[in-house]
Amino acid sequence: MKALMSLGALIGVAGLLLLGGMVLDVVPSTYIRLVEGYMPIQMLLEVACYVIGFTGLSYTLNAMGMAIPRFWQGIGFWVFFLLYLKYRMYPPIPFSVRAMYGTVSLVAVFMWVSASEEDWQKFKQPIMNVLDAQTGGNRLLRYLYLVLLPILIGGFSFNAMMPKSEEPIELRTVHPAPPASTKVHGKTYTLQTSQNPYRVNPEGKYDQEFSNANIVEQGMGRLMKPNANPWDDKNQGYLKYVREGGEIFYQNCHFCHGDNLNGRGLHAFAFNPIPANFTDPGTIAQLQETFIFWRVSKGGIGLPNEGFPWASVMPPWEQHLTVDEIWKVVLFEYWHTGYYPRTWD
Amino acid sequence: MGLLAGKRVFSIMALCMMVSLLLLPIVVALPSLAIGEEAPAGDAAKKDGDKVEKGRDVYYKTEGIVVGAPAPKTVDGPRDYPRYNFESRVLLWFANQQHLYYGSFVLAVPIFCMIIEFMGVVTKDKALAKRYDQLAYDFIKISLTAYSLTAILGGILIFTFLTLYPAFFSYLSGIFRPVMHIYALMFVAESGTLYIYYYGWDKMKEGFLKWIHLSMSVILNIIGTLLMFLANSWIGFMMSPAGVDEQGRYLGNIWHVIHTALWNPLNLHRILGNMAFGGGVVAAYAAYKFLASKTDEDRAHYDWMGYIAMALGVAFLIPLPFAGYWLMREVYAYRQQMGITLMGGLLAWLFIIQATMIGILFLSTNYYLWQAMGRMRGAEKYQRYIKYLVFILACGYMVFITPHTMVMTPAELKAMGGQQHPVLGNYGVMSAKNGGINVIITTTVLSFVWYMRGNKVSTVSWAKFGNIFMGIFFACAYFNIIFLAVYGYYIPANVRVGLSVPQVATTLSCLFFMFALNSVMMKGAKQLGPIEWGKISARSQYALIMLATAFTWMMGLMGYIRSSVRLFWHVNEIMRDNSPWAYTHTVGFAANMISFNVLFFWITILFVFWLGSLGAKKVPVESKAGIPGSIPQPIASH
Repeated sequence: MKALMSLGALIGVAGLLLLGGMVLDVVPSTYIRLVEGYMPIQMLLEVACYVIGFTGLSYTLNAMGMAIPRFWQGIGFWVFFLLYLKYRMYPPIPFSVRAMYGTVSLVAVFMWVSASEEDWQKFKQPIMNVLDAQTGGNRLLRYLYLVLLPILIGGFSFNAMMPKSEEPIELRTVHPAPPASTKVHGKTYTLQTSQNPYRVNPEGKYDQEFSNANIVEQGMGRLMKPNANPWDDKNQGYLKYVREGGEIFYQNCHFCHGDNLNGRGLHAFAFNPIPANFTDPGTIAQLQETFIFWRVSKGGIGLPNEGFPWASVMPPWEQHLTVDEIWKVVLFEYWHTGYYPRTWD
Repeated sequence: MGLLAGKRVFSIMALCMMVSLLLLPIVVALPSLAIGEEAPAGDAAKKDGDKVEKGRDVYYKTEGIVVGAPAPKTVDGPRDYPRYNFESRVLLWFANQQHLYYGSFVLAVPIFCMIIEFMGVVTKDKALAKRYDQLAYDFIKISLTAYSLTAILGGILIFTFLTLYPAFFSYLSGIFRPVMHIYALMFVAESGTLYIYYYGWDKMKEGFLKWIHLSMSVILNIIGTLLMFLANSWIGFMMSPAGVDEQGRYLGNIWHVIHTALWNPLNLHRILGNMAFGGGVVAAYAAYKFLASKTDEDRAHYDWMGYIAMALGVAFLIPLPFAGYWLMREVYAYRQQMGITLMGGLLAWLFIIQATMIGILFLSTNYYLWQAMGRMRGAEKYQRYIKYLVFILACGYMVFITPHTMVMTPAELKAMGGQQHPVLGNYGVMSAKNGGINVIITTTVLSFVWYMRGNKVSTVSWAKFGNIFMGIFFACAYFNIIFLAVYGYYIPANVRVGLSVPQVATTLSCLFFMFALNSVMMKGAKQLGPIEWGKISARSQYALIMLATAFTWMMGLMGYIRSSVRLFWHVNEIMRDNSPWAYTHTVGFAANMISFNVLFFWITILFVFWLGSLGAKKVPVESKAGIPGSIPQPIASH
């Protein structure tokens, strides 16, 4: 047990040093890479490692007679977590999300330190000591708080009320609800039931399973599956149409949506917001193919009322592409990202 | 002997008579049902020279004879939308929400009473039976004043409809005409049964009469549930109309109008929601009384009351997310647009707030249970593991509340390099959220298991094996939930939706199987010490108040979301809302309005509590010093 706790303490110290380096900008945030495809679970595991490390550290220090008071344990963990979010995670997390996580972690710390009466007494003892002000140091601290707290609150209020020069935050409906049907080149498509006519097997029959089996692998690198190279001239059916869709994509779409379909094309950063990132699991992976067909056809100006504030400069591609070309582009996007379109069966 | 038999016969006759009287409104209404189908058809036939006009049901796709008028095409003006110098929609929102709060409360509390009274009747321990009986009585006493307020608020709601939305209300009441009076008469039946149930408590407290009294609570709850089902049919019709043609003309089949696509999921969701809400409100009442108690005896009683109410509320809270999931699934199946508007579009932000509230509910519950372990000798052994439960809960909660599209300034957006964060954005999709909430619920189950065995040591011969098995079971459950949440990213969406089934099954297996196993293991267990009722921290009581407030806020929020999803329709795709208020409020306005409704409800319910305490004060209470660890005794007679 002791050995395990010592190991934990080592992990804790190493983690703290690493984070300290990142805060002081000595160690880059990317020193330990967030591995694409595993990033969300990696973050949770990292925090779990820190918790284990801190437990070991606390145990070891306790055994050495240098126990950290519960008050400072609680405050310390909360500060650590805020710094972790700010300096370890990349790209930077928006303040609104850090504020949410900060509040949750503060509540969690409170739940931890007040779970039992004994712990709660330990935690609030330093606060009570300052309020009671039985010693000179505590009396000084109490006067300091008396002056500093109103100044701090006043400062926050002033900062909150002060007019800002930066653009305001705008809540945007990224995926507005689609209409029941859409008319493209004179033909009406019912969005709930229409299918991509090019999702077919080499015999030309609609075959969702065949196309699903031939998309690229997700995760690191997004590699093509063996014998599923669309640029092989011998291919028929699905893979052939993926290639044709790819050609259309690289002639028209990649300037904004990027070579890797991640929304970082050549012109992407000229727009606000930047174009959709198809590799994100929350964009095309969540939607029916017909939704993408509707969006591509109608573009930014075809967004419904719900799509406020209609912040999209995508042209209505029905004015530049045929229906077949649009379906093929959609096919390519799903193939390249390794996502399956949403179906309702 | 003869007298006793006579009493029995008399009480059975009284019960039968009561049931017959209760059924009378339905029987009386039956001819009107028939007339509702045939008479207008006859009129229509006369007008069109024996030609019967037929229409096609918008949902069931069946043909029926047109017997109703089309939905009115309203225009903004004093005829269709008369108004005060205030937004009519907000007034209606307020009246509706207050009626719903009280309605939910008075429907839920009798169900608690029924359960607790039944427990009292079947319990062999007489002292415990008396406690249960007193508790059930305390519950119904609270709901009695609330019942009058519900009726008053119902009246206010109808007047608000008639005054501000006459065209819409006239259309809706025309559609539901065949069951409108059944609804009203059932209210009479509900009131009658409730008053007999309450005032007959003392007279029917012994032997066979007690069973008759208990049967009345069953009848009371059946009527209450049917009432709610009928009210649900109106909102079901407004969201997913059926039984009418494209113009909104009634086709003569009232069952189709009632049994719409969303009726059943709404019914289930509302029953569970009402119960959880009722439990929360009663727990808050107990917490308030606990904090105001002057004696140890009172504290012991209200501590126990709070615990029972919380346990009942949470028992219905645990399946609530699954019922909500079914409702959303049916919404998607009914109209994809509606589903996307709710969960991915215009109203998606409100769902993030909802997730936050759900998390608060579970966090408060866990916190209360950990505090409650403080009043048991022997539960200290679990205290040092609580920090790990806090960590698991916090991780699950953070994943559960992470929005997919984050609120950010344009500068932050550019720094992030896209609309979605490559790490945290992944928590914003359903696969991760299902994992998050299931982890939270499983942890709550674990907290309950710890609480149940807090002051006990199992004496069964296989105790060690049982403990190891339970540990492995929970570990596997966590692994399975998290694995499926991650795996969900790598499979098609339709398969991913199906993954929620094994996740839920895992959580429910933990709930039922672990509870059952724990009960078997703890049968005849060695007690390390009694539960010292009343010796619980004040923080625990604030957790109960937090639980109740979060329930109230969430109910207000979900009601708003459900209603807003119709966007600019009074009746979805049938009757358009042409008032100036046919737009969706901002998130901030909605949140303020919900907060106002919550505040108003709590102020008025405090008044109800105060009224209840006036009655109790009339009874002299012996001020006895509480004996630590003793069983709380009823504090007052009725």
